[in-house]
Amino acid sequence: MIETLRLLSRRPVALIGLGGVIFFVLLAYVAPLVVSLQDAPDVTSVYLSPSLAHPLGTDYQGRDVLNQIVHGGADILTVAFLAAFISTAIAVTFGSLSATLGGRFDAATLGLTDIVLTIPQLIVLIVVAAIVHPSSFLVMAVILALLQWASLLRQVRAQVLSLKERDYVEAARSLDLGIFHIIFREMLPNMTSYIVIHFILAMTQAIYAQVGLIILGLVPLSGENWAIMLYFARDQGALYFRDSLWYILSPILAIVLFQLSLVSLASGLEDIFNPRLRAA
Amino acid sequence: MSVTPAEVRLAARLGPREVFGAFWTHPVLRAALKAILTIWVTTTLTFFLIRLMPGSPVDLKIDELMQTSNGALTYDDARAIASGLFSIDLNAPLHEQYLSFMGNVLHGNLGNSFLSAGTSVTSIILAVLPWTLFAVGTGLLLSFSVGIALGLLAAYRRNSFFDRLVTTGGSVVSSIPNYLLALMIVVILGSQLRLIPIAQMRGAFSPGMHPGFTLDFIGDIFYHASLPITIFFLTQLGNWILSMRSATLAALDEDYVVAARARGLTDGRITTAYVGRNAILPLVTQFAIATGFVLGGAVVIEQIFVYEGIGLRLLAAINQRDYPLVQGILLITTTAVVIANLAADLLYGRLDPRIGRAGGATG
Amino acid sequence: MDPILSVQELSVEYATRRGALRAARDVSFDVESGETVAIIGESGSGKTTLAVALVRLLPRNARVSAGAIRFTRDGITRDVLRLDDEELREFRWRECALVFQSALNAFNPVIDIWSQFLDTARAHGMKDTKAVRDRSFELLDLVHLDPERVLRAYPHELSGGMRQRVLIALGLLLHPALLILDEPTTALDILTQRAIIDLLRELRTKLGFSMLFISHDLSLAAELADRVVTMYAGRAVERAGVEDLFYRPRHPYSIGLLRAVPRVTGALGSVASIPGSPPDLISPPPGCPYHPRCPLAIDACLAAVPPLLPVDMPRHDAACIRWQEVARTIGTAERHVAEKLA
Repeated sequence: MIETLRLLSRRPVALIGLGGVIFFVLLAYVAPLVVSLQDAPDVTSVYLSPSLAHPLGTDYQGRDVLNQIVHGGADILTVAFLAAFISTAIAVTFGSLSATLGGRFDAATLGLTDIVLTIPQLIVLIVVAAIVHPSSFLVMAVILALLQWASLLRQVRAQVLSLKERDYVEAARSLDLGIFHIIFREMLPNMTSYIVIHFILAMTQAIYAQVGLIILGLVPLSGENWAIMLYFARDQGALYFRDSLWYILSPILAIVLFQLSLVSLASGLEDIFNPRLRAA
Repeated sequence: MSVTPAEVRLAARLGPREVFGAFWTHPVLRAALKAILTIWVTTTLTFFLIRLMPGSPVDLKIDELMQTSNGALTYDDARAIASGLFSIDLNAPLHEQYLSFMGNVLHGNLGNSFLSAGTSVTSIILAVLPWTLFAVGTGLLLSFSVGIALGLLAAYRRNSFFDRLVTTGGSVVSSIPNYLLALMIVVILGSQLRLIPIAQMRGAFSPGMHPGFTLDFIGDIFYHASLPITIFFLTQLGNWILSMRSATLAALDEDYVVAARARGLTDGRITTAYVGRNAILPLVTQFAIATGFVLGGAVVIEQIFVYEGIGLRLLAAINQRDYPLVQGILLITTTAVVIANLAADLLYGRLDPRIGRAGGATG
Repeated sequence: MDPILSVQELSVEYATRRGALRAARDVSFDVESGETVAIIGESGSGKTTLAVALVRLLPRNARVSAGAIRFTRDGITRDVLRLDDEELREFRWRECALVFQSALNAFNPVIDIWSQFLDTARAHGMKDTKAVRDRSFELLDLVHLDPERVLRAYPHELSGGMRQRVLIALGLLLHPALLILDEPTTALDILTQRAIIDLLRELRTKLGFSMLFISHDLSLAAELADRVVTMYAGRAVERAGVEDLFYRPRHPYSIGLLRAVPRVTGALGSVASIPGSPPDLISPPPGCPYHPRCPLAIDACLAAVPPLLPVDMPRHDAACIRWQEVARTIGTAERHVAEKLA
């Protein structure tokens, strides 16, 4: 862990990514505790330009945009984190089980994985969201996760298959240490590197999916978040007004910068974990 | 896609059913089988979701019909009408409904739209699908060709300014969600700077234009599709650049490239037939996966640019609760992606002789 | 008559983070027309670097830091290090063919063998497809393979032994004057090794090319070579005719190599590996590179790197100041070894 941090510190890309992620986590979870939500409409201040009082201007109801940005990150980050966690858990568990058990279970899992990998994810998500109408963020996270586990499962399975033959696994088996011990204590520690990277990338995918769903208006809207801001922007025709620029750009920038931070961090970690790249 | 030992054992265990076994081990037939299976699974899933969720759209439709008729229709009458709309007999038990649904699908009958009674889902889809395929296809092909060229160059000029520029630029732009980039274009280039006449670019082609193979018309459809194409192009470009670059670097490291130079082959020949042909293999599979992804993104992007493709129609159908249309669109889009994947698998099998041939060292 | 290949004080170094790694230092040897020379050394001795340097195929981080490589054919001598890109491309394969191990994927895996033959021919101006085909058939026959089947095949469909034969056939495509073989029998099973050795002998007699092969296997030298150069830590430490090297070695390393070859009829304990390990090529020990492992080392050995000194036989030199001592220590044991091997 310390070694990883030390290596991270040598790569500017990874550092920027890590810094960005930490910034946004703080913004989303800590800042709202400090700054209270100001959601009282003020019809006289609709679409004001950025000023000292309103650094990012106001929205279609005269509310401060910066305030909304501060309060708008938590939902998105929470759903992304949950979705990534669930999909990673599914992928790791079933990938290693499938590789260890082999036989028909393995063939069936592999077939299912191929199918899930092939279907156009966002379209299926849109249809499912339209039918299911997820009202809580947990439900949304679960739905997102249900389509994301496929590629990591394949990787985990391939890795476990190759590790199955190694000596220390043979040793554990002969000591009758049981399947779960073998998977979780012997093999997984070798896979942490790309599980972590996949987790980060799964978060970016989850953000992409949920923001898209919200912008389309397919998810029952409650609360404030960056994506809901964009939904209202479209709904209220703010796309076509000249004065509403910052109302629209702020959430876009927040989302984009957070995605970029995640991707930079993942890319930096990949650099570190891949010794071949390191030596080049 | 090689055959795993589990699959071979599975085939063997099915013993006398050698036909199935033959299917399973032959790469082409296996791929076809998987394709059909995928489409079947997705359609079945939608069918049951629609029927089994509480407040199913079928019941909603029956309610709606009864309400709008102000009590003139009985429940059974309404149900009969709903049946007709779904092309399925709603009195029958669920599994029979399913079977008749599948039967309909195999005959190319996807039912009729709820809204415009009498208009088949198939005809609606066929009217809008080409536009989406046109925009997505053009964007993908452009980004693929430009991407692999830039990626190859970047690999050959590793660590040069060009390499770093192209790699960083590509990965930054690709990290931006495609619909957000679309929003930015609409807002900044459209509303703020007034550089792009967004309102005029709506729709698949200008009103009053007659579809045909005239230069005018073709120019017009490109004009209207230009924004979606640009988005697809920009947001996919980085992926191709990075993938081709790393695949090329890996190929350049291989022994057979050094051996080819030892034989005095020209750099040009080595780049195309030795490095290029090997580097491109992983990208073929990626192309198939990209079609699924871009098609999904197209739904949101068509909304933003008001481009009349299948994505726009899907959202309209969802908002209007036109469930046969939703079901039909899902079926068709999944089929399109599955076909793309199948084509990619087959192409890969032809490009890489190590796969898809009953090969092996024979002494 | 000038030798086909004349290597003079060639030095090759790699740039590494710790400093310059000198993989080959002041290596000099000749290959006469029609001769077969073996370069023998353990891994890390610089022998493959040498082979690759001869056709200027060193990787990006390596360079020739000193020396000359002269190639003579039909009375014309050329300095290989001074050839421009186009001349170099022509030189490779047409004059001098470097054939890699079959175990390495020396073939492009996605195109068939015939295309790779055609590519090679076309790159050197042979445009007539029929002529190339005829020549390919002729060569594949010579290496005892079925041309129809092999040309249609993809590399992964051939076994290791077949691939080595195809590589040799391909090597002879343009009638090169010199064939360089890097570890031709390593990674092959014993029966296939025998077949390849016999094949090389047969081809050499029939076609009369000169051959340079690189190996760690001394018995291969006994089978095929006219002259042997042993290399240690990037330096040529002994150059001799093959019989001289086996019966009258004059460098302690050569004796170590001879002793390390197991004999089928040998008594237990008669095989000995050389104690210690090869030196660090970035900062080697002072003086003779072999002295840490040498049973005959004295203080003077650390003082300076010994040059190749002529010994008591013609056309035989050794980089050892105590070569006379070496000559005296050769007892009957070594003579038996040599007899069994030869």
